Amino acid sequence: MTQRYRIRWTKVGRTRFISARDLTSVWERALRRADLPIAYSEGFTPHPKVSFPDALPVGVSSTGEYAELTFAAPIEPASDLAALSAALPAGMDITTYLEVPDGAPKLAKMLRATLWELAWPPVDQTELGALLSARSDELLAADHAEVIRHRPDGDRTIDVRPAVLALAATTRPGSHARDAYTVLRAVLRNDGPTVRPTDLHAALSRGDVAEPDAVLRCVQGAHEPEGVRDALGGEVEPLVPDVDAEAA
Amino acid sequence: MLGTAPVSLASTIPARGARAPYRRPGREALPAPSCWSVLEPLLPKVRKPVQYVGGEHNQHVTAWEAAETRWLLCYPDTYEVGQPNQGIQILYELLNERPTALAERAYAPWVDLEELQREHAIPTFSLETHRPLWAFDVFGVTLPHELGHTNLLNLLDLGGVPHRSVGRSTEDPIVLVGGHAAFNPEPLAPFIDAAVMGDGEQVTLEIDEVVRAFKREREPAGPLEGCDDAEARHELLRRLAAVEGVYVPAFYAPRYRDDGRLQRTVPTEPGVPALVPKRTIQDLEEWQYPRKQIVPMTETVHERFSVEIFRGCTRGCRFCQAGMITRPVRERRPETVQRLVEEGVADTGFNEVGLLSLSSADHSAIGPIARDLADAYEGTTTSLSLPSPRVDAFNVTLSNELARNGRRTGLTFAPEAGSERLRAVINKMVSEADLLRTAEVAFAEGWRHIKLYFMVGLPTETDEDVLAIAELGIRTYEIARRHGHANKVTLSVGGFVPKPHTPFQWAAQDPPDEIRRKLSLIRHAIKDHRGIKVRTNDPEEGVIEGLLARGDRRVAPAIERAWQLGARFDGWHEMPTLELWRQAMAETGVDLDWFSYRERDQHEALPWDHLDSGLDAGWLWEDWQDAQADQQLDDCRWSACYDCGVCPGLSIEHDTGYTGGFSLPVVPSRLGGSDELPSTPERYASGP
Repeated sequence: MTQRYRIRWTKVGRTRFISARDLTSVWERALRRADLPIAYSEGFTPHPKVSFPDALPVGVSSTGEYAELTFAAPIEPASDLAALSAALPAGMDITTYLEVPDGAPKLAKMLRATLWELAWPPVDQTELGALLSARSDELLAADHAEVIRHRPDGDRTIDVRPAVLALAATTRPGSHARDAYTVLRAVLRNDGPTVRPTDLHAALSRGDVAEPDAVLRCVQGAHEPEGVRDALGGEVEPLVPDVDAEAA
Repeated sequence: MLGTAPVSLASTIPARGARAPYRRPGREALPAPSCWSVLEPLLPKVRKPVQYVGGEHNQHVTAWEAAETRWLLCYPDTYEVGQPNQGIQILYELLNERPTALAERAYAPWVDLEELQREHAIPTFSLETHRPLWAFDVFGVTLPHELGHTNLLNLLDLGGVPHRSVGRSTEDPIVLVGGHAAFNPEPLAPFIDAAVMGDGEQVTLEIDEVVRAFKREREPAGPLEGCDDAEARHELLRRLAAVEGVYVPAFYAPRYRDDGRLQRTVPTEPGVPALVPKRTIQDLEEWQYPRKQIVPMTETVHERFSVEIFRGCTRGCRFCQAGMITRPVRERRPETVQRLVEEGVADTGFNEVGLLSLSSADHSAIGPIARDLADAYEGTTTSLSLPSPRVDAFNVTLSNELARNGRRTGLTFAPEAGSERLRAVINKMVSEADLLRTAEVAFAEGWRHIKLYFMVGLPTETDEDVLAIAELGIRTYEIARRHGHANKVTLSVGGFVPKPHTPFQWAAQDPPDEIRRKLSLIRHAIKDHRGIKVRTNDPEEGVIEGLLARGDRRVAPAIERAWQLGARFDGWHEMPTLELWRQAMAETGVDLDWFSYRERDQHEALPWDHLDSGLDAGWLWEDWQDAQADQQLDDCRWSACYDCGVCPGLSIEHDTGYTGGFSLPVVPSRLGGSDELPSTPERYASGP
């Protein structure tokens, strides 16, 4: 009797440097340490049934990772998944879970949009914020926004525009006004050709905006007017963060 | 460009003369600065950044101010190669269990990160807290082989520590090396402060105590407080040299003959021993480490929970330095192995278990150990493995047992030499009939692929011996084909490098051209058998290893020069450093032919003669003569002692089940042993 769970999890701090390729064994070892009855695939080299909808680039943080786990025997989700969360390396935590009913749509189908956050260090805030706002408006008004993606196997031209659902330039306050980070939040579609935050940066930068200091995948789910609704938890992460609430 | 991060001022390394406050014991210390905030933004630019972040399961973090002594343990190669090393993990756990000590780990940065580190003044750092090398008391470096020497110099330099010992003060860490290559530390003599030979467990704790006492005495109102720095450092080195097994090269000097040969290495400091002994622990049961093994978050060369099932080997293979310098044999009890494995697998989550030793099938209770573990993990996803160079049917039986959960894919055997005569020379006691019978059994029982390990360049070798490798491969392949057309045979052939403290220490090494010629003889001989694969290393690879293995202090300037010219990672294909080395040798007047390709005689002193591995010098010479007369020698575990000198010299004994009087499956069949596992579940009686 197998049981499937979908979880939302984080990959922040040092763990954001774990590659997608290494992630499977990190999860497998944590599952074994937590002594949970994860199901294994058949065959000569069985793999634990842990599936990830897509890969996060190395070095990018995330509070919006998802996975589907199939267990060979029933588990006590609240305590067992908490134990699993504790067994994962620091920076990786399970924040939400949901048992998957039979006939549920595929997880990837539920992750139609992603809220990304690009952050720049506390320099040039006023100018940079204004520039990003203006460029965002231009991009949203345009039909196409082509950028060149450089890859070892050759350059490719990508049209960023179809993937962009919403954009907002804002700031995230630090301890002093002058410490505020410049932040660009973007909602990108996941169901077309892949557009990454680096592509979006290329489209907005036009050579005069530095690469962001930090990139965060905040949440994935359904695009709503005010932001993105988490596919599992159901809360909406707003496009423009409520600065006052955060400060409080 | 808008939004450009402010140029980080980098982790400013305090000037020499201003570092003492970070090194004081306990709460008196200034916390050593972490370089993480400077390093972190650079990590997305380098290959495999996760190797530099630490944070693995079972890492140990102690507050700087909570320790009186602070060690940085290092394997001078990349994380993926060095992390699984058992020696480092044993000492890491031992030191961190000590309430007054702290130990962190460091590995060599790949060249991409090194470049960024130099650009941003990021010193050699620890993984746990990214504290700089210069702040630690001891830099403990394991040298499992000779190809990390340039990395060692580089790590010191990058870490803000003078790479030559004479340039250091009490403000710098003690640079301490151990591991197999530390049995001839002479080429590194100017760069290291001390070397330790043999088992590290006890001596590391003794060294820690010496450093701790010394630091206390340097504190205000301590007896060494006002002591001149050079004198204080000299005093610390003297105290270290007084610890049994610690060799301080600065207290010895070589004397050379007019013809350039070494006459003797003599003590120059009053009170230091003329002969420095290796350290040996008698009872492995008292040292059940490492228990809390680090679980990497990225691929490494061995991802498994490893238990050392015994230490030492007396098979007496004359080429094998490890077998000679780790004697006598000390076994771990089967019930301890079982417990360590079960606890370790549960704690780490590894899905593979390695039963480690130099020849794991030789444990006197390997049958019961393998069976009990196979029982415990039958039907699970946990797999078992053990390295064993033995060539006999028992090994196949054992492998069947360990492969219960998996596929019978490949088996590896190591006949080492192709002809019966040459196997007698190297004392690898296996006949061709044994090998072919073993292959027959293996393929009949469903194994699909046999890998055979050989060496060329062995002493007394003729072309006939070399061609015998091909013939043996062809015969094995004929057996393979009879059992299935897809079955495979691989011949893996390496060039032999003579090593110190072995009967072959006097032998001439084959130059790369000669190795290349011999490899092509083999390739030519098997060219009509397309199912046989031959795997070889670049013959040039043994050149640096051979020079550093048997070199003396006159080789040191070549190491230094090669490093300055950019040599790093000398063991890596990706880093062809041989040309840099050739230039360094030319500039420093090091004659490779003289050091490596020349046979030595009995009257020439060897650079490691004052370092005592326990082996009797007379016995080694006799064994070298026996080798040249094709004379074999039996393993002293199941035949008479042949007086190699180790047991009486160290006042310790073999600690094995072989002396207990029960019948064991491991004894070679021609000596009355059996190839079968015990058929009844009798367990290893609880021993003497």
